[in-house]
Amino acid sequence: MKIVSPRLCLAVVLLLSSVMPALAGQATQVLSASVDQVILLLANPAYKDTATRPELRKKVIKTIEAIFDTRELSRRALGAQWNNFSPDQQNRFVAAFGTLLQNTYLDKIESYTDEKVRYLSEDDLGGGKTEIATKVVGKDKEIPITYRLVDHDGWRVYDVIIEGVSLVQNYRSQFGQILMNESPDVLIAKISAKKS
Amino acid sequence: MPMTTTRKFLFSLVLLIGVLAFTDAHAGMESQDDSSPSAPTVINGKPAVSGEVATAPVPDPLYGWNKFWFTFNDVFYSRLMRPLAKGYVVIMPKKARTGLANIYNNFTFPIRFLNSLLQLNFVKASREFGRFFINSTFGMAGLMDLAKSDPNLQPGNEDFGQTLGHYGMTEGFYIVWPFLGPSNLRDTIGMAGDAAANPLTWIFGPWSAHDDYNPWYWSYIIKAGDTFNRLPETLDEYDAITKPAIEPYTAMKDAYIQYRRNAVAH
Repeated sequence: MKIVSPRLCLAVVLLLSSVMPALAGQATQVLSASVDQVILLLANPAYKDTATRPELRKKVIKTIEAIFDTRELSRRALGAQWNNFSPDQQNRFVAAFGTLLQNTYLDKIESYTDEKVRYLSEDDLGGGKTEIATKVVGKDKEIPITYRLVDHDGWRVYDVIIEGVSLVQNYRSQFGQILMNESPDVLIAKISAKKS
Repeated sequence: MPMTTTRKFLFSLVLLIGVLAFTDAHAGMESQDDSSPSAPTVINGKPAVSGEVATAPVPDPLYGWNKFWFTFNDVFYSRLMRPLAKGYVVIMPKKARTGLANIYNNFTFPIRFLNSLLQLNFVKASREFGRFFINSTFGMAGLMDLAKSDPNLQPGNEDFGQTLGHYGMTEGFYIVWPFLGPSNLRDTIGMAGDAAANPLTWIFGPWSAHDDYNPWYWSYIIKAGDTFNRLPETLDEYDAITKPAIEPYTAMKDAYIQYRRNAVAH
């Protein structure tokens, strides 16, 4: 009977205990890196200046585009209707919806001044998906925001849930409503008209 | 005596709903869900949550009525009252508005306390009681929410609609009330229950009709006052849902339904 060296055991245990926490928080690390970057850009005094703002805004948009999986978001927002769209319609929908989400998100976060984001927990949902609970803590308000991320090639957000209201589900009910009476092209036109 | 009022209210409510059920309704609005099979309730050992699967559609047989009152409320609150709310923010400092809201919230402690008890959630009930005790005494009759600084005494929000949901009552159809906003059948009954637990109803009830000191209408005036006091924040939440929406009516309906389902579950 082989006797495993206690020193080896200890070494393995120590190694695992130092690696596991890092693995468990991987998605949180990816998310927090993007969020922190956005906050940093927004806190930059040059952001207030209308001259230097467009440049910084482009950087913020780039960061948002990197962390949000727009295609996945769009697919889920259409639900079963996604398959009724032609590939061209799908692409146009993703572009239009992505712009709408960007503008909505930008409007919201640009109104933030000195809020801090706290990362509360990360739960594995199975199937390469995870859920991260965060809290945006401001001067006199706290907003719990939950992100759902999927790991296709890198963790990216595919849903945002506030007070139990899922963004994807909300848009899905709206789009489902519209598609009952209108064609996909009309829906895409409505979304494109909205962003302006 | 007090039960007569509630019973009368409930009876007229049932009558109203019965009448409404026969009104013009868009049959097509009943099921807006995509053609997924019936939503599973468990995925990978975890309970299915909204957004992951198509949630069961909530019937909207009162679409005509709902759409009308949604538009009405939108015009009333978002157009007419919004300038007043903006002016209110200017003349009343945030601390004063928060103070007023705190007083009212503290006063309506029985609603949250009783419903926590009814749901046999003694942790929540004791939390409500702790908040009430600290804020009423050291917080000067609720003016200051001192309890908030304790992480174990954060504000809760139980109501009778959630209690009914806790015991298995389904939400029923979606209904929009004038001024009161979105609701559903179960939560409307919940509103009646909350009115019964609201101390205002007992202090200023119709039995005080002959009492010069506690006229019946003060209960409504105070409730309306609280609604106006919180209007700036309510409008912010309303904008958060409707501004980015392609279909504001559906966005509001879906947000309300998801929000309440989450509240009942927690």
